[in-house]
Amino acid sequence: MHISEGILAPQILAAGVVIAGAEVAWGLKKTDHDKIVQVAMASSVFFLASLINIRLGPSSTHLSLIGPIGLILGWSAFPAIFVALLLQAVLFQFGGILVLGVNTVSMATAAVAAHLIFGRPVRSGSLKIAASSAFAAGFLAVLLGASLVGMFLSLSDYGMLTAAKTLVAAHIPLGLIEGAAAAFMITFLKRTHPDVLGMAR
Amino acid sequence: MRAVCGRSVFRIASAAFVIISAACAGHSPASAHGAGYRLSDKKAVPIEFYYSTGEVMAYQETRVFSPTDPKNSFQSGRTDEFGRYSFIPAAEGTWRVAVNDPEGHRVEASIEIGEDFFTDESDVAAATAAGSIPQGAELAWRAVLGVSVIFNIVAFLSLRRTKSPQSSQTSKIKEEAI
Repeated sequence: MHISEGILAPQILAAGVVIAGAEVAWGLKKTDHDKIVQVAMASSVFFLASLINIRLGPSSTHLSLIGPIGLILGWSAFPAIFVALLLQAVLFQFGGILVLGVNTVSMATAAVAAHLIFGRPVRSGSLKIAASSAFAAGFLAVLLGASLVGMFLSLSDYGMLTAAKTLVAAHIPLGLIEGAAAAFMITFLKRTHPDVLGMAR
Repeated sequence: MRAVCGRSVFRIASAAFVIISAACAGHSPASAHGAGYRLSDKKAVPIEFYYSTGEVMAYQETRVFSPTDPKNSFQSGRTDEFGRYSFIPAAEGTWRVAVNDPEGHRVEASIEIGEDFFTDESDVAAATAAGSIPQGAELAWRAVLGVSVIFNIVAFLSLRRTKSPQSSQTSKIKEEAI
């Protein structure tokens, strides 16, 4: 889901830096110091998840886990995903430094949207409701992230809307896998460590 | 009478054919050229392009830029089924080969062509791939380094917090309250 260097127009890159800067600043403001280790854990998971390849028929893709990260961290997903993307760009050459803003906006916004839409049913609902909400959060976060990537590509006149539609369609199988992973992770955390999800133990 | 008439018609038709043929030949000199092929003895630079998942970048748009003109492409086309693309460098210097796919992935290889490349002794160009993805042990090492950096940031922030007077005051207040 990373956009690489040299593809987007300079105006889009600049807009990405501004929006991502505001998002990360807001996320840091909302991050309690006691939650920092949790943010680091989630950031590490996101950083490493990109190395896990999944075979999907003739092609393959890699995990992002933005849905569960959004559900666990809430607003703190902004700095967590930003740091992980920065390290991925520097160490793995995924994405890039100039395009870091746009990639942060695409993925972190999807993670926080998952938190805002599905956070409440995950925390206060029964185990079944939490599992189904987490599945929907994982699935829709991937599609929203892919849609944002497609939107940035379309705005840069790169392949226009056809590319965006192809991108979203290609991420449906990954969304289903991430939805299942999110449902498993959230159900496990709700049973064993509900405090991680912001619930009283 | 009929025979005389027939001969003159034949002569007129023959003359018209000769004139039209001559006119066509005179106005379209390109039609006189043919196109052929021969095997080239020039050395090519083959490159393979792939994703971080290991999948090859098959049939993707590829552009080659020469060292002298970094804006206008020297050659363009698509990678083959196996993500490969070849070009024949025409001069020394750094050649760039950029591959884009419609999903926003881009990789740019930077190929350094030295003087040796054009002599018979050298077989392979000294090539460096600028956008290449680390693999194997190097990838694992970088993954460990990344996680280490994240937790070093946490350690630094925690250390800073414990040293700051404000946090020590709040902890004292908490202790008193207990």
